[in-house]
Amino acid sequence: MGSEAIIVFFLAGVVLVAGSNFLSNLISHKSDNAQKREPYESGMKTIGPTWVQFKVGYYLFAILFLIFDVEVAFLVPWAVVFQDFGGVAFIEIIIFLFILGLGLLYAWKKGALKWE
Amino acid sequence: MERILFYILALIIVIFAIAAVSSRKMLRSVIYLLFVLCSIAGLYFLIDYNFLAAIQLTVYAGGIIVLIIFSVLLVHHIELELELAKPLKQIITALACLVGIGVILTTIYSYDFKVIENDTAITTADVGSKLLSYDQGGFILPFEVISVVLLAAMIGAIIIAKGKQVEKHENKRIE
Repeated sequence: MGSEAIIVFFLAGVVLVAGSNFLSNLISHKSDNAQKREPYESGMKTIGPTWVQFKVGYYLFAILFLIFDVEVAFLVPWAVVFQDFGGVAFIEIIIFLFILGLGLLYAWKKGALKWE
Repeated sequence: MERILFYILALIIVIFAIAAVSSRKMLRSVIYLLFVLCSIAGLYFLIDYNFLAAIQLTVYAGGIIVLIIFSVLLVHHIELELELAKPLKQIITALACLVGIGVILTTIYSYDFKVIENDTAITTADVGSKLLSYDQGGFILPFEVISVVLLAAMIGAIIIAKGKQVEKHENKRIE
């Protein structure tokens, strides 16, 4: 078991997806025209480009998410050994979270969490 | 058996790495990069580095890719395809790439690799106890400094993204 199972799983996944795509391609009725390739917009003809530029606010939220993502990455090994270390580990993680909490406080104060 | 798994993963990595740099649409390149990062996590799982693989999935495949996707979506004319370079440039680039491959391959083949059997896998608990211990060889000070680094990154990101608004606030105060 182990790696053999993963290889079988991988092959089964490839065969299932490729097979169903191939079969539906083989059996299905095909029709193609210009309207079919247009982006769908509630049945109306699309006006203007379909790509829109995102607001910079999303980027800020993504960065904040990334920082807390990294924080969680450090919380996991702490949580695993927390019971062996006891109180000391608790104080250590409180310091860690406090310093990061200051960052969240700064973001809050500067209005970075507000949606504009 | 593990050898087969390694070659499958290596094949996926190479194919999608080439696809990522050769795709002429930005968003597609990012998604190909996502596949590369996931396969690298698979390599880490293969050599029993479970913690590193989890970090690879959460931070790189989960976080960095989201960040790159947002920065791609911030670009003005995303629907445009990348222009093909001029033939002279293409030839020079190809030569530079070949020289790079040559240097790397000669280095790999001329180096005498020594195989060391290593049965001890590093678990998440090992990482955690090293991070939290304050004895000799513990990493408690770097662990706490990491939070300061993250704090600096957060403040820097807010200042860059919110720079104009912050300036406006300060100007108002001065006035």
